[in-house]
Amino acid sequence: MKRSKDLASAAWQRRRDFLRKAAGSAVAAGALGPYVLRGWAADTVNIGGLYPSTGSMAQIGQACVVAAKLAVEMVNNAGGIKSLGGAKLNLIISDVQSDTTVTRTETDRLISGNKLSAIHGCYASALTLIASEVCERAKVPIITGSSTDQLNKGRAYTFTPFARASQFAKAQLQMAKLVGDKPKVAVIFENTAFGTATSNGLKELAPGEGVEIVMFEPYSAGFTDAGPLINKVKSSGANALFSVSYLNDLILIVRTVKQVGLNIAINGGSGGFVIPDFYKNVGKAADGLLGVAHWNHDVNDAAQKVNADYKKRTGEFIFEYAGGLVAQTYMLVDALERAGSADPQKVRDALAKLDVSSGYAAMAPGGKVKFGPDGKNVYGHPVGVQWQNGDLVSVFPNEDARGKLLKI
Amino acid sequence: MVEIVAQAVINGLLIGGIYALVSIGVTLIFGVVKIVNFAQGEFVMIGMYITFFLATQFGLDPLVSLFVCMPVLFVLGVLIQHFLIRRVLGLNDLPQIFLTFALSLLIVNIALMLLTANYRTVHTAYSDEAFHLGGLYVPVAKLIAFGVAMLLSALLWAFLRTTDLGKAMRAASQNREVAQLMGINPNRVFAVALGIALALAGAAGSLLMPFYPAYPMVGQVFVLMAFVAVVLGTLGNVVGALIASLLMGIAESLGIQFVGADSGLIVVFLLLLVTLAVRPSGLAGGHTR
Repeated sequence: MKRSKDLASAAWQRRRDFLRKAAGSAVAAGALGPYVLRGWAADTVNIGGLYPSTGSMAQIGQACVVAAKLAVEMVNNAGGIKSLGGAKLNLIISDVQSDTTVTRTETDRLISGNKLSAIHGCYASALTLIASEVCERAKVPIITGSSTDQLNKGRAYTFTPFARASQFAKAQLQMAKLVGDKPKVAVIFENTAFGTATSNGLKELAPGEGVEIVMFEPYSAGFTDAGPLINKVKSSGANALFSVSYLNDLILIVRTVKQVGLNIAINGGSGGFVIPDFYKNVGKAADGLLGVAHWNHDVNDAAQKVNADYKKRTGEFIFEYAGGLVAQTYMLVDALERAGSADPQKVRDALAKLDVSSGYAAMAPGGKVKFGPDGKNVYGHPVGVQWQNGDLVSVFPNEDARGKLLKI
Repeated sequence: MVEIVAQAVINGLLIGGIYALVSIGVTLIFGVVKIVNFAQGEFVMIGMYITFFLATQFGLDPLVSLFVCMPVLFVLGVLIQHFLIRRVLGLNDLPQIFLTFALSLLIVNIALMLLTANYRTVHTAYSDEAFHLGGLYVPVAKLIAFGVAMLLSALLWAFLRTTDLGKAMRAASQNREVAQLMGINPNRVFAVALGIALALAGAAGSLLMPFYPAYPMVGQVFVLMAFVAVVLGTLGNVVGALIASLLMGIAESLGIQFVGADSGLIVVFLLLLVTLAVRPSGLAGGHTR
């Protein structure tokens, strides 16, 4: 915390020095002629990044930070924000420690301590909801990949370019029919904002999609043993299992299903299911497992390129949330270019008018981003994915499919 | 129905064995040295990582690394007693609480720095196997863990009952001053108690590794259950902590099966509250041994 403050004040000092020198040379330049001045107005544009790099979500939070830095480097290496005289992006990362109280104070601190143009974050919906409230009050735009539909209610500074929790549900239910035509589904979900929102969506839409839900059960995240829960799934007679969980629980659930010898098609949803660590921990048993994601590294060529860069840094493919936030950074860049200003209100207004269908900003299933009045991408929809030999392949719907469905 | 209950009891009993290893360590330290070790879960985590690295670097089976983990953590326990805990013993409770709490924070954060927050698993031949008996199943890795946990608990019990050092530990836990008058060296007894407690945590780490992923915060999952077990089984009572751990495992499992998967802990805490209302000093009454 202290370190980032020091860094921020150092940056401010540098900026002051720079301005003083710039002003001095501007006077000199005035005498010499106007042509030297171009490009000198370049200042930095501050972007805040709120991620849980410690605490229970640390693993994913840290990977998000790597992606956020990669995105900013890509933008700066390509010449920064051109309409602001090539201003570079300056990413200010803040650790929200996987904790809602800390998220509130960190968001406040980030906004009051820095001149920010926009913020992105926070991975977990429960944290993003808090950060979004603070941003709304401070009138700083926040762009996020978090999926809870609550983020689209009564907010003017919150933008969600990717599929919403309720849409995930529909995709998941449709995917149940990929495996069998009479699906009997058991839904188990962690009792958090993310888990409840996703599973309620499933429950509401199931009848309309012709899917029968035979078990609907919340569990407390971070259990020591998945045995009792799977015992319950077994006695429900389900032939498909939807598990709405983060990584640690999901590893235990999948391994326990194999142990029990239960023959059931598993759809792990999103969250912890679509990150490389899942395959590393579960191994071959994960092949054929289905999931849904708001982003996948094979959605288009731009995403493949980002994926290659990220792989060079980390050795792993870029997962949903991290890839999505690279796209979000480019959406902010697009807004900044059109706003021609680093003022958060102007950036917000430009974001509201965003309409892209090519380049890095359009890396999303469907390849188009345009925000409606509720801050939702009107083209946003999830992509169905399947684990195949350690890679995550888009298999659903047909127009987004990049590989063949592996029959289990 | 009978089958479902039986399966729930089996699941609960097996995980209860792991709770027992952690809680026996906590209760032993509390009984003998009279301090609460908030860092006990972190030693489970250290045990898990030692097991993980032995498995990935040298291909050692987690059960074999038990024989590395336990001595290493025993020595660590003796060192911690000698260099840290010994210095705060004469003082009031606060420095003792802060010491072990600080230790816990320190270990977790060092682990985060050195090992990152990634999950690490070890796959053994028996990791995903289970014995099937009719409609019931018993996971092999958990059965082994349970068996070894019970064996270690029995050995500890025998040690406390039959050896001079064990008797000295029980004496020191009953009345430190009188024990000193009888010629028992408290520092030596305390060092051994810390060593044994940490060795048990290390054993829990090795036994968990075939079926539970390791990560820096993993200790906190188990230490909460351990603290409940220690209170439920009467503070300082080793047999009480063992029985309480097994009961809690079963209560949690039955709770998940019949109340709701997010209510396992509610049933456990209900068990604790009822016990404390009926027997305020825990299941074993006032006895600490």
